[in-house]
Amino acid sequence: MIELLIAAIICVVLNLFLLFRIFRGPTAADRMCAADALDLVSALALVLYSLYTGRAIYLDIALVVALLGFVGTVFVARYLEGRL
Amino acid sequence: MRIAIDILLGLGVFFILVGVLGVNRMPDVFGRLQASTCIATMGTISIVIAGILYAIANAGETVTYVKLAVLLLLVMGTNPISNHALCKAAYKMGVKPSKELAIDDYKEDDPE
Amino acid sequence: MQKPSKFLVWLSTFIFCFLFWLLLTWSVAARELILGGIVSAVVAAFSGRFLIHHQAFYLYNPVRLVILIFYCAIIFLWEVIKANLSMAKLVLSPKLKYEAGIIRVPGSEKIKSEYGLAMVSNCITLTPGTITMDVAEDEDGKNYYYVHWINVAESDREKAGEAIKGRMERWIGRIWK
Repeated sequence: MIELLIAAIICVVLNLFLLFRIFRGPTAADRMCAADALDLVSALALVLYSLYTGRAIYLDIALVVALLGFVGTVFVARYLEGRL
Repeated sequence: MRIAIDILLGLGVFFILVGVLGVNRMPDVFGRLQASTCIATMGTISIVIAGILYAIANAGETVTYVKLAVLLLLVMGTNPISNHALCKAAYKMGVKPSKELAIDDYKEDDPE
Repeated sequence: MQKPSKFLVWLSTFIFCFLFWLLLTWSVAARELILGGIVSAVVAAFSGRFLIHHQAFYLYNPVRLVILIFYCAIIFLWEVIKANLSMAKLVLSPKLKYEAGIIRVPGSEKIKSEYGLAMVSNCITLTPGTITMDVAEDEDGKNYYYVHWINVAESDREKAGEAIKGRMERWIGRIWK
């Protein structure tokens, strides 16, 4: 089904806008917020691509990407708060 | 079935677009965090439900939709924690909001 | 409230970890089951005391599980859809005018346990437009949530609490104490 691939491509193109915000963001919190959103969107793109090709390994990668993004964001937030 | 999957995919992509536009357009950190919640809720929910419907329609393996459901559960469980931590960190760091806050009870009471 | 014994804490965490392992691998081959049992036992021995403080088998109750699933699938989803639509309207409007504020919202008296407080604040954070920044307790044992609200419509704190989390909190009060 071609729609899955189109949606995945749109997700990847939207990621470029998030990258723009990561380069631009005035403070570190802005950058981390955009990076967290980028993790999620790329995980969703991986899900769509795995459904399109029918290979289950991409689903595992999407799970790991989503979880690692969470852990990284919480660590950076704790560091910015000054409690690490 | 195919039309339902298309509608759900369109909805998910639309809300991801709203989240990305919000992250780019909002003037300060707090607004950006609020807008990025859109990606984590409606975007993820609709795309994962579309994926589950697709797997059922094409008689995929059971593993596929169980893993999709686990992904949805994990994202919905972990995303609020990271958002809360980032919001608090930005406030404690002293990031100025772009406009004066209408009410600021947090500064008046100052817990801890 | 007395603390549960160590074995019950371990057993409850072990069951939870093992169910999660079954979900992730989704096979009932003997090799997978034995490996999952060993891993869950080790993980439960290390992390059980962080997870459970009051009653070990509180959630393993069919009525509570059914209410939890009903809440997640219908009530919470409806709130999320409403908030998402208003957020989309705000982001796509050309002027982008809003009035943000951090408001102190009183919590209900029924919800006291840490799991209940965590679930209410997570649900508040997951609806776009509101983020919980902190939960504090005053001298009388009443809980307050500090919520960053992107469009402050009510300055009265009771009414603001009703608008932000009224229905969700009533339903969560039926699940957690």
